[in-house]
Amino acid sequence: MSENEFQLGRQLFYDPILSKDQTISCASCHLQANSFTHTDHELSHGIGGIIGKRNSLALMNLAWNSSFMWDGGVNHIELQALAPISSENEMGSSLNEVVAKLNASKKYKALYFNSYKDSLVTGQKTLLALTQFTVMLNSYNSKYDKYIIDKGGDLFTQQEKNGLKIFRENCASCHTEPLFTNNEFRNNGLVVDPFLNDYGRMQITNKSEDSLKFKVPTLRNIQFTPPYMHDGRFESLKEVISHYKLGIVHSKTLAKELNSNLNLSHKEEVDLLVFLRTLTDYEFLFNDRFSYPF
Amino acid sequence: MKYNFIPILISVFLGFTFVSFSSSNLEIIITPRFNNKSILETDWYVTSTKDSIQFTKTKFYLTNFKLISNNGEIKVLENSSYLIDIFKPETLKFSLKLPHFDNNDKLYFELGVNNKMNTTGAHSGALDPSNGMYWSWQSGYINFKIEGISPSCMTRKNKFQFHIGGYQNPHNTLRNFTINLNKQNLELNLNLEKFFEFTKLSKENQVLIPGSNADQLATVFYNAFTVF
Ligand code: HEC
Ligand code: HEC
Repeated sequence: MSENEFQLGRQLFYDPILSKDQTISCASCHLQANSFTHTDHELSHGIGGIIGKRNSLALMNLAWNSSFMWDGGVNHIELQALAPISSENEMGSSLNEVVAKLNASKKYKALYFNSYKDSLVTGQKTLLALTQFTVMLNSYNSKYDKYIIDKGGDLFTQQEKNGLKIFRENCASCHTEPLFTNNEFRNNGLVVDPFLNDYGRMQITNKSEDSLKFKVPTLRNIQFTPPYMHDGRFESLKEVISHYKLGIVHSKTLAKELNSNLNLSHKEEVDLLVFLRTLTDYEFLFNDRFSYPF
Repeated sequence: MKYNFIPILISVFLGFTFVSFSSSNLEIIITPRFNNKSILETDWYVTSTKDSIQFTKTKFYLTNFKLISNNGEIKVLENSSYLIDIFKPETLKFSLKLPHFDNNDKLYFELGVNNKMNTTGAHSGALDPSNGMYWSWQSGYINFKIEGISPSCMTRKNKFQFHIGGYQNPHNTLRNFTINLNKQNLELNLNLEKFFEFTKLSKENQVLIPGSNADQLATVFYNAFTVF
């Protein structure tokens, strides 16, 4: 990977030239301050304000993902950007159109030359450059990470330590450390939204045993990525915990760990919430290398 | 830096081997037809199931060419991926650079894009995802696209659309050919009439996702080719 390619990818990520009417960039739905997701919108919207079907995903530590999207429909990060570029709900363009626009831009011709020793813009190079930017979005400097490196020293308060213990007992089978995801698809007991009728993984595999399963999302920087779940139905982490305590809907594909409700006292619930905040990585959220380049 | 001469030596050496093999070109010629008629965007055709149709697009991939010598040796032709568009005459003819080949040698190639190329990221040339032969919401190449209009289709603008692909079992839509080489060219006749032989367009006019329908249509499309 070259620095030039990373910088080209960064420019592309922040440039609305990627959308049909030049209004939407990748960053419109993936904001650094929110760990590269869209806050305040349950379902991300794109050009002309068309509402999409799903809540945007936070972008971080992508090199460790075994697939992409809530349903795992995309098998390789280099091909992920095709989805937003060509979706009518998102950027409404096509890679073909984007390539034509970039080929007409003196600035981009020069940037492509710097990265690839050839100024011709192609679809492949565009996807590779975007990938060079997004795979560098790595978050590993949270308070939790420092506590782990410190081998369980005094960086955590008693409350945070207790929260971690509760987390490990109830959540870590899916939100597995250190990535806080096991990269699997599971049904965590959400009731189907009758307007969206989103059955998740089944739409990709056509297998009924995958009905209502979604990617287990990472919980790193979770404090800054509301709303939560694939359709953004929960505004706060408190609501998420209430879901695991009281809201689990039983169905054939429900994960077996969730068969019995989460049983936490009020104090334990607060400890868990306090622990989840230790997953915030301020160095990542404010790293200038990843910010708006223009 | 000081080892720079090694690649030069290697290429000089390769140059010699090529000379001694006397490489030759194999012309591949694709002829799209509807029975015995040539296909024009402005013409109407009648299928055996009595649908009147007009074609707006027919594109497909021919990829992964390999020369199989009669002694069993296999030579893979690197980067041999071609996107054929029946309305772009320049794509209907191309030549493969083969090392010397004999009468009993065989040519292997694929109709579509194989599993490996579907799972290894973004590629260039004919396989560049900007060619419009790639799905976006789910990874995978579209092996072939057949689109057009027919009054039988109760769809928006009477369109029919077949985007056929899917690289995973049990519905892998890749098909392949192994052909005996006995002359300097290979002709592939595509009779599109055959593609519609089993399809009543009023009932089936859109297949845009991988699955069993796509799998069946991949076989029907494959059988629409004759090679000689
Ligand atoms: C209109 C909003 C929107 C825009 C613009 C957008 N995205 Fe996304 N992004 C989403 C949504 C929504 C998802 C989750 C989609 C799904 O699961 O179906 C997502 C998912 C992703 C993922 C997958 C993350 C994971 O962990 O699986 C990556 C990577 C990504 N986007 C990168 C990009 C890039 C690069 C661009 C610019 C080319 C971009 N996005 C533009 C909304 C958007
Ligand atoms: C059986 C696996 C499993 C267990 C156990 C589990 N989760 Fe989840 N979690 C998921 C899945 C799957 C999703 C995504 C569901 C969706 O959006 O459809 C999710 C989503 C979340 C989200 C939303 C993340 C986002 O970015 O939108 C949070 C927060 C969360 N879980 C916290 C927890 C906590 C806290 C616990 C323990 C009390 C826990 N989870 C236990 C599987 C699990």
